[in-house]
Amino acid sequence: MAELNSGGGSHHGGKHDKKRAKKQSTRVDMTPMVDLAFLLLTFFVLTSTFSKPKVLRMIFPEKLDKNNPDVKAPEVRNGITLLLSGDDKLYYYTGALDEKAQLETIDYTKNGLRKVLAERNLKLINKLKELQGRMEKINEADTAAKNKVDREVKAAQAASDLVVLVKADEKATYKNMIDVIDEFMITQIAKYFVVDEGMAPMEKELIKKQGK
Amino acid sequence: MPKIKMPQQTPSLDMTPMVDLAFLLVTFFMLTASFRMQEPVVVDPPTSTTIREIPKQVFLITVNSEGQAFIDITHAAVKAKVFRSVCKQYDIKPTDEEVLKFTGAGSIGMSIENLRQYLSLDGNERTKVKQNGIPYDTTGKKGQLYWWAYYARLEAHKDFKQREEEAKNRKLDFDKDNYIQFAVKADANAKYDVVKHVIQVFRDAKVKQFQMITGLESKPKDK
Repeated sequence: MAELNSGGGSHHGGKHDKKRAKKQSTRVDMTPMVDLAFLLLTFFVLTSTFSKPKVLRMIFPEKLDKNNPDVKAPEVRNGITLLLSGDDKLYYYTGALDEKAQLETIDYTKNGLRKVLAERNLKLINKLKELQGRMEKINEADTAAKNKVDREVKAAQAASDLVVLVKADEKATYKNMIDVIDEFMITQIAKYFVVDEGMAPMEKELIKKQGK
Repeated sequence: MPKIKMPQQTPSLDMTPMVDLAFLLVTFFMLTASFRMQEPVVVDPPTSTTIREIPKQVFLITVNSEGQAFIDITHAAVKAKVFRSVCKQYDIKPTDEEVLKFTGAGSIGMSIENLRQYLSLDGNERTKVKQNGIPYDTTGKKGQLYWWAYYARLEAHKDFKQREEEAKNRKLDFDKDNYIQFAVKADANAKYDVVKHVIQVFRDAKVKQFQMITGLESKPKDK
């Protein structure tokens, strides 16, 4: 505790008491001030929002005009399709949707979805890693070389033949969707599409069969 | 054994450095704090590993787990303009005072007809009002949310052009990042279908790019 300034200091040397003016302590009790300061501190700590929220960018292309014969949905050759369903269930199949389509059950964990995506995207991941390594060696000021590597990154992404389609049914949550897109970011998938129409009836059938 | 006389003193402690420190911290927090706006709806966004920060100016679309949509624009001048345009669309003539109140009202989630009455309430009474979201239509008809989105996109673009022009005239660097962007803050447990419907309304109004607001999650380590 701080010193209390009750009383006028110590009483030594009684002889000179009369001649000298009474010595008053100049100390101010700081305790209430500290109390106040900490009160304010607590208030500001608790009310301030520290971390700014982060954002995940999503681009939704304009809707295809079905009446226009020139506009066609792109054909997918080397594709996998992720099916998002309720209760955090996740399935995928490779290639086109036909009788041979085989549904696999996975989950949102590191060993589930991420492993599947990383395995299939290995070529692009390695290429990007190599370019990243080259980027780090480049001198800060050398913008021409930097731009060149940037272009190569874009070219590598454009050349990637892996296409991932995402379809969600009515029961899938928004969190599921964000998780999937986040996994795309982590595994550096260059081409993915969220299908507006959701699941086809056949895909729903497949999920039903899988559940049994 | 001689008696040791302890000096009778009050144990004194100098508090000054402590006060200094405390006030330093107070000052720091005061200056860095950005206060949370009163929000009519609390949503818990999902987390992701992205490190992209939220743009400075956003058109914030909040979607709660029931699919009710709430909107807010962080740029006061644009917000006022959008409000006037939407009012005009519905033949409502707001007073200047109402427009001013609207810009300070934070997130709004009600139909335009009820808005005037809501604005006439004071802050305390407003929190008691249950807001049911801005009405929108999922079948492609142009609901109120559509017009909000439409005019927001229009005004945001105008604002961008105007500032670009201004920067050019004054020969200053133009800060492109100040562009008003569309940010979606949806509840993690909301059904994707429901969020999709809200986004669809904005897509109908030719908004293509969205910033999905998420909480922070640590990045996975490389093997």
